[in-house]
Amino acid sequence: MNVYQTDPRLNKFDPLERIIFYDDFDEGIRGWSELIGNYEHTLDSMLPEYSDMRPPMLSNLTMWDTGTAGSMEGDYALKVASRGREGSLATSIKRVTFRRRGQIQLECYFTFKPEASELRLSVNDVRAFGVLFDLQDGMNPEYRWMPHLRYLNAEGDQMINRWQMKSATRAFSKIGDSGETVSHFHLGPEHWEYVDAPVQTLAYNEIATKMNWHYLRINVDLAERRFLGFQCNDLIYDGDPLKYISIPAMPNLNCMLNTAFWVETNRDKRAFLYLDSVLLSGEF
Amino acid sequence: MSVRRSYTAVVERNVLWDRDFATEPYEAAWASEAIFFVRALEVSPEFSGIARVQISADGIHWVDEGTTFELPWEVNAVTFGRVRHFGGWLRIVGGVQSRREIRALVSLALKE
Repeated sequence: MNVYQTDPRLNKFDPLERIIFYDDFDEGIRGWSELIGNYEHTLDSMLPEYSDMRPPMLSNLTMWDTGTAGSMEGDYALKVASRGREGSLATSIKRVTFRRRGQIQLECYFTFKPEASELRLSVNDVRAFGVLFDLQDGMNPEYRWMPHLRYLNAEGDQMINRWQMKSATRAFSKIGDSGETVSHFHLGPEHWEYVDAPVQTLAYNEIATKMNWHYLRINVDLAERRFLGFQCNDLIYDGDPLKYISIPAMPNLNCMLNTAFWVETNRDKRAFLYLDSVLLSGEF
Repeated sequence: MSVRRSYTAVVERNVLWDRDFATEPYEAAWASEAIFFVRALEVSPEFSGIARVQISADGIHWVDEGTTFELPWEVNAVTFGRVRHFGGWLRIVGGVQSRREIRALVSLALKE
């Protein structure tokens, strides 16, 4: 028996040979911060889409009608919360670097809900949530590449319930006047393509104050720069057809291994993404 | 040795207040003490304003906690409001007099 089988907190994960980080948010915020755009001299120089990506918080999932649910295992979850304005997007990121260009695997338990500010179903009030890696090769880097996966829950009044990928970002913009800083926004509504797979309806559970936790696993290969696949609950998706953003390597990002989660609201109502725990493992 | 957890959230950054305002709800049930810092990035001449700390059981319905503090009146000036025993959610609300405005950075410093 290895430690993954005997530790009840790790037993629900299937990590690769070594753990890069394991974040149980009962222990605190653990390196997950707000994503911010690049700027020079003034915050006004930032691309406007990056100006307000909201700080994450530790939530004990307290509801107005039933009180505190706590997280899946413990009291606290990481909560990413949009503003109550249609299209608002909130993003939290953790930034590390890799030691070896091998395979990596992200696993998490998550749930998402709209703010329970109305006494109705609200099933299509969250537009989407997603997860991305922002990666760059190590020595003599050729590429920065950014695998994105987005679960499009609803668009307008229509339920979608499908996974999407992204193979293009917006053009880079110069930031400030020094010539040293650039920025590009890669979370806009454009360039999303559906993963060729059936609808995957995630349990919503009828009202906005009931949360069911879901499992997500994503595998990528840093050496071959490709998706190896992903799994959400009982469905497993093949990696070969999955596209990603690829751009020439940038000056100061070698070995970058950033992971980010985001949530987007479909209404003038806050959308929440909760993470009970996140485990990134790899070959190194 | 264990240390007390702490966390600072920038709950508003470069936000323009030129009328009634409320910061986004922030969950802090794990913390036992909090300070809202407000720093003026830009501010109108002869500006003055008051912020009130509010608390909530659910992040939706709010009530004044009783703490109030002045908003900063010159660039890079900082003011603060300090609270304890606040339950699960925190925000500040306030108003700005007509034809005046402030561009503010609001940090919420929390400690276990």
